[in-house]
Amino acid sequence: MKRFIDHEELARDSRFIRQDAAQANVISSLPDDVETVVNVFEQFGPIIEAGVRGTSAEPLFEELGPGFMLTVLNEPLDPDAPAAVPRLLLRMHGIFVGELQALEGAARSLWDFPDAPWEFKMNMARQCWDEARHLQIFEKLLVHLGGHVGMYPESTFLFEACCSEDPAMRVAGVNRGLEGLACDVFRDMIRFANKTGDEVMKQAVDYVLADEITHVRFGSEWVKEFTKDNPEHLKRTQDFRREVDKRFSFGGARSDREDAAIPIAREDRLEAGFTEEELQELSEISGVGPSKKTLSEAAQILRDRYHETRKAQQEGASS
Amino acid sequence: MSERMYPGLTQEERTGFAPYSAFDIPADLRELHGRYDVEATALRVRNFRYAEEWMVMMMGGWVATIPEIPVKTGLGKVIWETAQAADELGKRLPELRCGRKSLEASEAPNTAFADFIQEVSNPETPDLTIEKLSGVFDVLIPHLVEIYEMHNRETDAICDAPTIEILEHMVRRKRQHIQWGQEVLDALCDDDETQQRRRDRANQLSGLLKESGGVTGVLETGQASLN
Repeated sequence: MKRFIDHEELARDSRFIRQDAAQANVISSLPDDVETVVNVFEQFGPIIEAGVRGTSAEPLFEELGPGFMLTVLNEPLDPDAPAAVPRLLLRMHGIFVGELQALEGAARSLWDFPDAPWEFKMNMARQCWDEARHLQIFEKLLVHLGGHVGMYPESTFLFEACCSEDPAMRVAGVNRGLEGLACDVFRDMIRFANKTGDEVMKQAVDYVLADEITHVRFGSEWVKEFTKDNPEHLKRTQDFRREVDKRFSFGGARSDREDAAIPIAREDRLEAGFTEEELQELSEISGVGPSKKTLSEAAQILRDRYHETRKAQQEGASS
Repeated sequence: MSERMYPGLTQEERTGFAPYSAFDIPADLRELHGRYDVEATALRVRNFRYAEEWMVMMMGGWVATIPEIPVKTGLGKVIWETAQAADELGKRLPELRCGRKSLEASEAPNTAFADFIQEVSNPETPDLTIEKLSGVFDVLIPHLVEIYEMHNRETDAICDAPTIEILEHMVRRKRQHIQWGQEVLDALCDDDETQQRRRDRANQLSGLLKESGGVTGVLETGQASLN
């Protein structure tokens, strides 16, 4: 068995289809300019459409056009908002595949770094069990909310972004970037469960959040250990982690901004070993990107243009 | 009957407590002396740890390359419990005069067993779940259970009791792992072709295991047979 695999080699059963990872990567680098956002999404339109056909995301695409992810990512989850259920399921499915990739990332660390210290392997082995349980928990929650595995396309950009071939960068990416994002998302899910009175979801996600804090702590400790006495390695690792954090901020959707759909879970992150300085830096990195107003306007234009085009196509076909 | 609570300096100054052997209450028929001395047991523990550590690593490598979700999640638990086993074996080594830094010491008994482990870990692509699981759950873990139980029967039951405790706990968990693996493999091998694949893989690896002499390199006749 070879060391290191590409994200395209992650094995899946027949329920899954892949989403082009380019979309997620593009969202993280959009400027605060309506026209550019619209142009980018129109360019990706055919790829996005092909990816959602036959999945439960198709109705969202039909309603909102190629910019549907802008709406999904940038509007906070609200039980009273339009399309609240499909958006909740889309979020929950995203968490499920995120846990799946976190399991695979931690597990691969056991094989990819055979010479790593035993304590590191113990931490990764423990994380394998935790992530495996998380996968089971989120499959149950997905069903609890009326969904099922494979109902939406899976983007493997989480694995792609954080599974470096350097062990320090791997734990910086998986345990601090990905698991840190999980802390933010799960705190938001608990808020949502509080709003809806969903005690099942609230308790389960709270347990998962407690595990994630431990995993972030693993990352905090091993980045230090793998880069000790090597400031240049530490700097490269921190640069890598900043890049991961930027990509995982989805253009400001996860940030400290007032209009953020997913706020940064400061208290949870502090408990996990993030410093105030790191949180300040994360706040600055994640806040860069188009404003919610820009994205809302772009989403509106994309929706209108999509419906105009569809209408013209239908009229052309009928005449 | 003396009423002394504590012995004095003369023959007459004994306590009145009844004299029992260390093995009388409850009755304990264990006897001193086993097949392995301290050095031999330390080597065997390093051999056992070698197999456990490599199982952790190879199963970790497979999780991403196996398409069946319940196999991924099931392996997550087996990986953690196997890592705990390797950890416990490592903690035993300094107690067996291997030095304080021996916690992470693993040792293959010979190159043939190291090659056998590499062969078990070889299957890679998503269509080879049967070959992956058969190697570990049909061949390697049953072999380890057999050897661990044999060690516990043959070692000094009093002097080497800490090793016995560790191995007994490991065997209990490994039996659960084998049962899980058998259920998964039975479900995956639901026709003649897949059942034959499973048998072929198990036979191939059992042959290599026998040639290597097993996890301690000194396999005796009849061991390493198919479970």
